[in-house]
Amino acid sequence: MPDMDRDPESGPPEWLAQALDAAVLDVRSMLAEGTDPFTAVMEAANAIAFGGFLVIDAPFNPSPLRRILAGRGFSSYGRKLSEGHWRVFFHQDGGADWETTAEVEVLPEGAMTWQEEDGIHIDVRKLTPPDPMLAILRLIEGLDETVRGVVVHHDREPHLLAPELAERGWHIARMSSEVVNIRLWLERL
Amino acid sequence: MLGGGFMMGAKDRLLPPSVPYRFFLAAAFYHLAGWLVLALAGPEAIRGFGGGPGPVLAALHLITLGTIAMTALGAAIQLLPVATRRPLGPVWACRLMFWLYAPGVGLFAAGLGLPVPGLQHSGASLVAAGLAIFGGLVARNLRQVSDLPGVTRHAWLAVASLLGLAVLGLALVVDFTTGFLPDHAAAAAAHAVLAAYGFMGMLALGFSYVLIPMFVLGPAVPDAVGKRTALASALALATGSGGALLGSGPLAALGAVLGLVAMGLYFHGMAGTLKTRMKKRFEPFFRLVWVAWAMLALSLLLGLALALGAPLDPWAGLWGFILVFGWLLSFVTALLQRIIPFLASMHSSALGGKPALLSRLAPKGPVEIHLAGHATALVLIPAGMLGGGDWPLRLGVLAGLAGSVAFGVFTVEVSRRYLSHLNAAKAAQPQG
Repeated sequence: MPDMDRDPESGPPEWLAQALDAAVLDVRSMLAEGTDPFTAVMEAANAIAFGGFLVIDAPFNPSPLRRILAGRGFSSYGRKLSEGHWRVFFHQDGGADWETTAEVEVLPEGAMTWQEEDGIHIDVRKLTPPDPMLAILRLIEGLDETVRGVVVHHDREPHLLAPELAERGWHIARMSSEVVNIRLWLERL
Repeated sequence: MLGGGFMMGAKDRLLPPSVPYRFFLAAAFYHLAGWLVLALAGPEAIRGFGGGPGPVLAALHLITLGTIAMTALGAAIQLLPVATRRPLGPVWACRLMFWLYAPGVGLFAAGLGLPVPGLQHSGASLVAAGLAIFGGLVARNLRQVSDLPGVTRHAWLAVASLLGLAVLGLALVVDFTTGFLPDHAAAAAAHAVLAAYGFMGMLALGFSYVLIPMFVLGPAVPDAVGKRTALASALALATGSGGALLGSGPLAALGAVLGLVAMGLYFHGMAGTLKTRMKKRFEPFFRLVWVAWAMLALSLLLGLALALGAPLDPWAGLWGFILVFGWLLSFVTALLQRIIPFLASMHSSALGGKPALLSRLAPKGPVEIHLAGHATALVLIPAGMLGGGDWPLRLGVLAGLAGSVAFGVFTVEVSRRYLSHLNAAKAAQPQG
């Protein structure tokens, strides 16, 4: 998966050299045990002073987390080290180096949506049912006819979503299941 | 992975469709049978019903056990594991539960109607065995859940009520032949409170915290509301059933008042969801939900009047009718109109094709006829019970019977359309 956060031509950020010395918070073992590392990451982030660094190892590119931390003033730079191993460097600098052109929208239910290379993404994890379904349906009902697909980040298999999607001319084309990150690819029928 | 694969990946929590559907088809069958037996019983038997064996008691249990509880069992084994994200138990246990419970209801109702004590005892034993499996499965699931207090606390109350109503119910059956109970009517009243408000009512309230927001596409009801309604309901059930069993009017009245408080909290929580729902137009099934909610309030007011000394004739019969046919039967048939096609659509892409549309699975005509028949029965039968005339009772029962026929047609037609969709998907699959 390409790094979506920066123009590949521009290379890594200048602050990366300093970040390489920071201790790594590896959340892969927590995810493998079925523990959501969100709280641990937030606690670690809260302890970072302005100008400091945070480095996280994850089994995938944690895009939603990067957006959340961007909102808290962290720029980030991610690299895929090997299959199932991402390292993401965060720099507490006010978030100036983070996707200044990215359009991150928060829906009424609290779901985040953003654009990536493979289409529109929506993160409905942490929402109480049926709010994930509401957020997904609200998103697809508001999409232009030209948009053919949506990627959903979920924390459960949404058994009850398929009939409502079908009623709106959409379906779940495929699904990948990782711990606390079930990813659904929705497509128009 | 195609849609069908997606559904199969959920097999730990999603039962094979034949399992919940056998409960729903049985519920539609006993619904029809209940109204039919009531029609055969005639207006005099309905008006003179005092709780003893005979066709009216048989019809009552065909509706309560055969339709309402049967639906609750089928819906719970499918929806509880989905809602809680915890497995329910082995599928064979669900099948065994059905094969004990469904014939048991028929035997028990036949035993009450004819009346034949041997059939009553054997039917009641089978029903109790089926319910025991259900209670065990639900308790096993709930023990693994720490969130969803709105659902789980009501489900625990339902399980506790199930225990109480089963003990009282078996005692009442034995009492028909031995007369060992000091006050059969008081035990029957407590049994009715625990069965209707406790077991079935708590399942209805708990699941409605998941189902109503999902069906109207409204926000989740806050957990705090669910906790408060569960607490108020627990107090109401304890005082209401205790007051009925002990023959204490003030205690039973306190139970009815606490029940009204619980209902008020529940309606307040639901109002928040309904106000901000995404679906601006209510679907047809929701008309019956409005009826059910109004009848729940009316049943509690009638219960309060009885506790405060209103004459048993005709108010006790009216309370029982409004409670069972008005609140629970309306609510259950409303949700079935949505759940049956919804589950069919969920399972319809099992072969990897496009899922069947909800709007194409559910026929509209039978829904309208059922609503008309059911609503007419809810007006005419109470009028006949209060006014004393035969024709409102006869017409009311016939209207209810017509509605149950229409509901049966609806259930069978959804199943037929679902199977037709699956067959078309199978035919479209590449050979070899």
